[in-house]
Amino acid sequence: MVLMEYSELEILIVRIREISGFDFSGYARPSLLRRASRYLTTHKMDFPQLLAHIEQGGNVVYGLIQELTVNYSEMFRDADFFMKVKAEVFTYLESYPTLRFWVAGCASGEEAYSLAIFLKEAGFLNRSLIYATDLSNKALTAAREGIFTLGNVRTFSENYLAAGGKHSLSDYYHVAYNKAAMLPELRRNIVFSMHDLTGDGVFNEFQFISCRNVMIYFTLELRQKVFRLLYDSLSMLGFLCLGKRETLRYSGLEENFKVIDSTLNIYQKIR
Amino acid sequence: MSMAKENDSLSLVLIGGSSGSFAIFEEIIRLVRNPLSFALIFVLHRGKSSTAVLPEIFKNKTNVAMSEPYHLDPIEANSIYFAYPDYHLLIGPDRRFYYDCTDKDFFSRPSIDATFISAAVSGISVKAAMLFSGSSADGALGMKTLAEKGFPTYVQNPAEAESPRMPEQALLAFEKHRMVTGGNLFSIINDILQ
Repeated sequence: MVLMEYSELEILIVRIREISGFDFSGYARPSLLRRASRYLTTHKMDFPQLLAHIEQGGNVVYGLIQELTVNYSEMFRDADFFMKVKAEVFTYLESYPTLRFWVAGCASGEEAYSLAIFLKEAGFLNRSLIYATDLSNKALTAAREGIFTLGNVRTFSENYLAAGGKHSLSDYYHVAYNKAAMLPELRRNIVFSMHDLTGDGVFNEFQFISCRNVMIYFTLELRQKVFRLLYDSLSMLGFLCLGKRETLRYSGLEENFKVIDSTLNIYQKIR
Repeated sequence: MSMAKENDSLSLVLIGGSSGSFAIFEEIIRLVRNPLSFALIFVLHRGKSSTAVLPEIFKNKTNVAMSEPYHLDPIEANSIYFAYPDYHLLIGPDRRFYYDCTDKDFFSRPSIDATFISAAVSGISVKAAMLFSGSSADGALGMKTLAEKGFPTYVQNPAEAESPRMPEQALLAFEKHRMVTGGNLFSIINDILQ
């Protein structure tokens, strides 16, 4: 493992911005440092070699940015969260004639497919539209394909059952060439598109936003800005879901939300 | 990132372990009494679906405040913290906790290396780092990094560990860690508490 220091990370951030225009200055340094160290390790480089390497620009820098921003995700992550969403949020939204959901920072689509499956089981996928956005084109391409390895799907299946799934997850995908492809009918109500939470603005109004384990990668200051964007994108009485170790604290918007579940981090916009 | 000016004396004690470490953690927590001059941070390998709330389990063993911190919570002296399942717990140079869910290290999230390495480069003083029983090589790099930065490091005697691999690997990576045995654990902890 090759380790980097914070002083080197700052140099890297400046060089990436000069070469590509992509700005990491709003990214939380501790996890960015971990990711950059992992990049050095997997690519068998030291820091000076990395600096020389990215001078090539183009795909090299693009690849580095991808690796530094990619989010880890799995379907039905946190069974207790999905149980609660079905019990408290879906029952609330049930009476709406049309519904818009936003999965902000959707990675390879795991959360969006999870939502689609549970909306289908709740009986209102047909009048729902799920916007799933990410800043990575590579992740979005994978998300549109909806293809997962069988190893991952085994975990997803366990999560699905733990989250109170009504069938077997295999009812929602077919297997070909040792991979699982999500059924096209699930995709019909999902719009995958590019959106940068740190730079792009409000693009629609939603009754439900899931942004779990995404803002942990931003600095306190940038996180406040993104919180504002999520708040502005929610309709009144809309729901906001964060990851298990995140809180509304330090967001500046604590007063505008009612706590639906403080452990699972589900909030409702009330003003 | 701005460093907190107040509370300049913050120091950390880091303790990592996996299978076979739980009882030792409990023993250490029993020895710890309010007020503590440092923040005590435990990283125990646990499955992602682990529902055990460690501060609850240990609450009758000490009078020091215990928690599984939230993202961005300030790190405070006189507190005991536990890493949360399915996330890496990172120590920020601004004296806050940061969560991360990138890849597992040695099939573990939380990983001991993630926390220990982040502490080593944080600029915060590490009063001691200890590594106990476990069956992977996690922690070896973090311990080595801390030792090379000049912080005191302690590894359980592999011969006494329920799962010797983790302390063994740490000693293979760096020979000069101090050895913890059943005989000197009590006095080492007491020294750290001074």
